[in-house]
Amino acid sequence: MATVAPPVPSSSSTIRGVQPLRAGQGNSFLWRKLHSLSGIVPIGAFLVEHILSNFEAIHGPLAYAQQVKFLNSLPLVRVLEWAFIFIPLAFHAGYGVFIAFRGRSNVNVYPWAGNWMYISQRVTGLIAFVYIIQHVWRQRFAGVSLPDHPGAAFAKVQHELANPWMLAIYVIAMVATTWHFAYGIWLFAAKWGITPGEQARKKFGYVCAAIGIALCVMGLWGMWAFVGPQYQNAPADVLPAQSSRLVLPAPTDLMQRAMASERTGNAK
Amino acid sequence: MAAKTIKVEIKRQSGPDGAATVEKFEIPYRPNMNITSLLGEIACDPVTVEGKATTPITYDSNCLEEICGSCAMLINGKAKMACSALVDKLNGDGSGTITLAPLSKFPVVRDLSVDRSVLFQNLKAVKAWVPIDGTYDLGSGPRQFPQLQEELYPLSNCISCTICMEVCPQFNDSTNFVGAATIAQVKLFNNNPTGAVLKAERLRALAGDGGVQECGFAQNCVEACPKQLPLTEAISDVSRDVMFQQVKDFFVR
Repeated sequence: MATVAPPVPSSSSTIRGVQPLRAGQGNSFLWRKLHSLSGIVPIGAFLVEHILSNFEAIHGPLAYAQQVKFLNSLPLVRVLEWAFIFIPLAFHAGYGVFIAFRGRSNVNVYPWAGNWMYISQRVTGLIAFVYIIQHVWRQRFAGVSLPDHPGAAFAKVQHELANPWMLAIYVIAMVATTWHFAYGIWLFAAKWGITPGEQARKKFGYVCAAIGIALCVMGLWGMWAFVGPQYQNAPADVLPAQSSRLVLPAPTDLMQRAMASERTGNAK
Repeated sequence: MAAKTIKVEIKRQSGPDGAATVEKFEIPYRPNMNITSLLGEIACDPVTVEGKATTPITYDSNCLEEICGSCAMLINGKAKMACSALVDKLNGDGSGTITLAPLSKFPVVRDLSVDRSVLFQNLKAVKAWVPIDGTYDLGSGPRQFPQLQEELYPLSNCISCTICMEVCPQFNDSTNFVGAATIAQVKLFNNNPTGAVLKAERLRALAGDGGVQECGFAQNCVEACPKQLPLTEAISDVSRDVMFQQVKDFFVR
C-alpha cells in the first residue's frame, strides 16, 4: 500500500483570510447593541419630537416661538440636551461610520431587496451624519441664540431655507433621516429577536414604512411653512428675550399706581 | 454548420500564493450538463480555446447532488453549488460564456478549490454538537415533540457550503464575522433537548468579537442558501438569546 503523508492541515492559528469567531472575547457586542439601542432611544425619540415640534411652524411664527420657548424651559434643559441628544448622537454617528466602512457591499452582484436596504441604511446614515453636523452648528450654536431668543426661531430657519441650495439639502436630509430611522426600527426589531418570523418581519415592515412616510411628510410640510407664501418675511423676533436667571417683572404703570395708592392709603 | 459548443472562462491559480490567470475553454455541447460535469469534460482533454495544453481544473466536489456542500464556487459571478448549477439554464441560447471563479472570501488552495476551514473553526468555537461522548452507554435521549423536530429539521439541512458567508457583506477580513451557518447551528443545538446543556456556553461564545452582533441583516444569506435554511429567523432568535444571556450574566454572574 502506498503511504502518502497526509497534507499538513492548516493550523487554526495561521488561518488565512477571514478569521474565526473570537468566542467570548472583546466588547464589540456591547458597543454594537448600544449603537442599535441609541438609534431608537434617545435619538429616534428625539427625531420624532423634533419633527413634531417643527410641525408647529405651520401655525405661524408665534406658535413656533412658543414651542421653542416651551422646549427651552424644560427642567435641566442643557443637561437633557447633552445627555439625551448630543452625546448619544455623537456616539451613534461615530460608531455608525465605523460600521459602515467595515462592510463590503455587494449589491452590484446580488441586487436583492434586503441587500439594497443594507446599503441604503449606510448611505442615508452618512448623509444624515454630514447634514446634522452643519445643521447643529448653524442652527444651534452659530447665529442668534434661540434658547435666549425663542421668538427669533422662525426668522432664523426662514433665512436659512431662503437659499435654494440649503433648501435642497434640507429636503434630501429629511428623506434620508426618516428613511434611516424607519428602517432602523425594522432592523432593531429583527436584530433583537422581536420579529424573528418572516411574516412578522414583513408585517412590521409595513408599519415601519408607514412611520417613515408619516414623519417625512410631516417634516416636509413643516418646512413648507418657512418657504411657502403664508408667512413670508416673518419678524426677526416675536417674543421678548428669555433669561435663564430669575428676573422680577418690570413694574408696569398699573402696578405703580396700585402701589402708590396703597402707600397713600397707609398714610391716612 | 459548426457543432454547438459551451464557452467557459475559468479563473485559475496554481497555488495559494500564485498569480491568478483566466483560461478559456470551448467544449462540445451535451444536454443536461451541470458545472461539475462540465469541469469533468475539460479534465478529459484539458486544452484551452487557443489550443494550448493545460492542467485539468482543480475543484472540490463529492456527492454531486447538493448534499456534501463541497462544490460551492462563483458561477457567472454568483456563489452557487456547481452540482446543481445546470448549464442549460445558465447558458440560455448558448451564445454566452459561463465564467467560473473560486469563492472570493476564502483563501484559494488551487484553481476553484478554496480553504473553508474558518467555518469548521467557528463551529468548534460554538460547540456545535450534542455532547454524548463518554465512557458508558448513556441510554436513549429525551423525546422530542414533533413540532420541535419540524422546527429544527430545516436547520439540520445545512451542508456547510459557506455560500451564506460568501454572499454576506459583513463577512470579511475587517469584521471577521462568524457568518449565518454557525449561528443557525447554534439555534439547532441549543434547541436539541440534550444539546441544550451547552446553550449558555454557545451564547457566550457568540457574543465575542465577530459574533452575532456583526450581522447587518442584508438577508443575502437566506436568499442564496441552496438548502433554503431559515437563516434570518435563526439569526433573529439567536440574537435575542445572546442578549438575554449577556443581561443575565451581567446581573447574576
